[in-house]
Amino acid sequence: MVKVRILGPSPRLTEVLRVVQDVGILHLTPPPSRPRLEVHAPDRAELRRKRQIDRAAADCEAAITGLALGGRGETVSGASLSQLAQWARLARRARTGAESIAARRTALDEEQALLSRYRDLLSALESLLTARALVPGATAYHIVLRRDQAGSVPVLRGALHELLGGAFELLTKTLPSGETAVLLLVPKSDAPRVDRLLADTRVQEMPVPHGYGDSLEIAIPRMRERIAAIPGERDAAVKELGRLGRRDGPELRRARAAFRDELARLDALPLSGATPRAFVLEGWVPESGDPRLRSALATAFGAEVSVERVSQEQWRGEDVPVVLANPRLFRPFETITRTLPLPRYGSLDPTPYVAVFFPMFFGLMLGDAGYGFAAALLALLLHRRSQPGSRLRTIAEMLGACALFAMAFGIAFGELFGTLGRRWLGLRPLLFDRETALIPFLALAVALGVIHVVLGLILGAIGQRRSHPRAALGRGLSAVMVLLIVVALLAAVRILPAGLLTPAAVALLIAFPVLVLLEGVVGPVEFLANLGHILSYARIMALGTASVMLAVVANRLAGSMGSVLVGALFGLLFHLVNFGLGLFSPAIHALRLHYVEFFGTFYSPGGTRYQPLGHWTPDAGKPA
Amino acid sequence: MTVLWIPLSAALAIGLTALATSWAQSRIGPALAAALAEKPELTTTAVILLAIPETMVILGFVVALSILMRGGT
Repeated sequence: MVKVRILGPSPRLTEVLRVVQDVGILHLTPPPSRPRLEVHAPDRAELRRKRQIDRAAADCEAAITGLALGGRGETVSGASLSQLAQWARLARRARTGAESIAARRTALDEEQALLSRYRDLLSALESLLTARALVPGATAYHIVLRRDQAGSVPVLRGALHELLGGAFELLTKTLPSGETAVLLLVPKSDAPRVDRLLADTRVQEMPVPHGYGDSLEIAIPRMRERIAAIPGERDAAVKELGRLGRRDGPELRRARAAFRDELARLDALPLSGATPRAFVLEGWVPESGDPRLRSALATAFGAEVSVERVSQEQWRGEDVPVVLANPRLFRPFETITRTLPLPRYGSLDPTPYVAVFFPMFFGLMLGDAGYGFAAALLALLLHRRSQPGSRLRTIAEMLGACALFAMAFGIAFGELFGTLGRRWLGLRPLLFDRETALIPFLALAVALGVIHVVLGLILGAIGQRRSHPRAALGRGLSAVMVLLIVVALLAAVRILPAGLLTPAAVALLIAFPVLVLLEGVVGPVEFLANLGHILSYARIMALGTASVMLAVVANRLAGSMGSVLVGALFGLLFHLVNFGLGLFSPAIHALRLHYVEFFGTFYSPGGTRYQPLGHWTPDAGKPA
Repeated sequence: MTVLWIPLSAALAIGLTALATSWAQSRIGPALAAALAEKPELTTTAVILLAIPETMVILGFVVALSILMRGGT
């Protein structure tokens, strides 16, 4: 990165920002504090303009969401004021239209939900009404009794008999839900007494839904009509939404991009400094992009606007923004690095190491060709269903790499859905059998821990060699001491010649006080922590063993069911559970091994994200 | 007697570490849930933090396996 300063006449500031935005590589910083150089302060007109554009952008977003237009973006350069005003009107109109259709759909959905609750009841009451034509001048009561109130019918009948003699009709029908629909017909003159009786017996009449008439006799046909009409009305609303989307969608997308660009330029104004006649902009550009910015400004403004490099003495390393730039193959794994605060400028980007070790650890833990193949299929599916640059696509790409490692280690361990590969295909372990060779697996896991942690210490030593040479020496010495311990242990168990034990132990005894001299008391404490971190890699073996054991149990259960079909289903279910666990647990633990054990040895967070002033895209706001 | 002590030791190795892990996670979990309610972007970090105490039970598992293998069970 290089820091550049752009100088020009004040009236040209807005146009310069427009060109800078077109180039899209300048990360603006606040202007330097100099006498007579003032930070741009927005006037009333500018604030009003910003409010208007903010509102128009919000209208656009709401309309695009309401019309379900998706995240595809457009790039617009140099929209005129009249064009912006036209787009603002379109956005407001489209938003109102989309919201009104959405409100209509919600109302129809609610009505449909309400009517569906009455559907069974309508059928029951209708059949009761048809069975017994209404007596002229009679009052009808429509009652629904809950399942636990079904015993109330005889009680009600008895009470009515006592009250009215035989002058009533009580018809009942059981609904599919277990409730009981009751139709009660009484002479109109007796209605007040029946009302009191129903209130006393705590039996409530079913209310007629609002807007369908005063009585069920009127409401039922209307409700039936509405039940039949609602799907058509809903379809019409969906079609109208689609038509609006097709008509206004492209313009709305362009409008959104233009408003966002305009807002970005307005937000950039306070990052400029101004004298009565001139403006100054400062910011960072990648060294390779510097000529491009100069050439664009020279083409647009000639000698009127000048660009100069700010000398290195005038800025501090920690102010430089950071961008992660890795080869295509490693790029998906930048997500893992980005979860933590970005590395400081000038420090090491751990992404390439993550891209190698993360899928390797994952593969070692899953370690099954069958599960690996299933994971690869899942990765392929996610890849097909995702947009380039989306989070889902990144996950698919990482899962693909992990699946390849899982298949490779699966073949090395001779595992295909546990022991099925051995039984059906005659697979044999090329490395070792994880089911029985626990000690070799543990040794492999810890050996990987040694490699990973020592690599981290070496990277830490390299990274700090200029800024903190003493600490760098300490890291390097820690790495050597870890290796000495490994040599001593291997010599003690006779894997290496026993003669190496004494020299390794003596070298350790010498190195220890040197470490204290270099790093103080913290040195030995950190060294012990690093040894603990190496042991933590035993989790690779633990999870790997658990994974293979679960697969073996699944196969055994399948074989012990008696029925082939039940056994196969049970085995499949168990393998599915194991596959789910096999995707989740190794990912979490591989992440943890990186964040805690590996990054802890060298990672220097604190970098500022590189955010150049550029054109808006749907992915803007997400990490670049 | 050894026949009894070996599986018992292995059971203690995994059981006690599992209890310790679950206790630690029970303390971390609510704190993380509260943090996530305010900052959902911390989800990945939260999952990692929750996985940290699992080291205990994983090492317990390794020790238990070693005990069982050494005892020839």
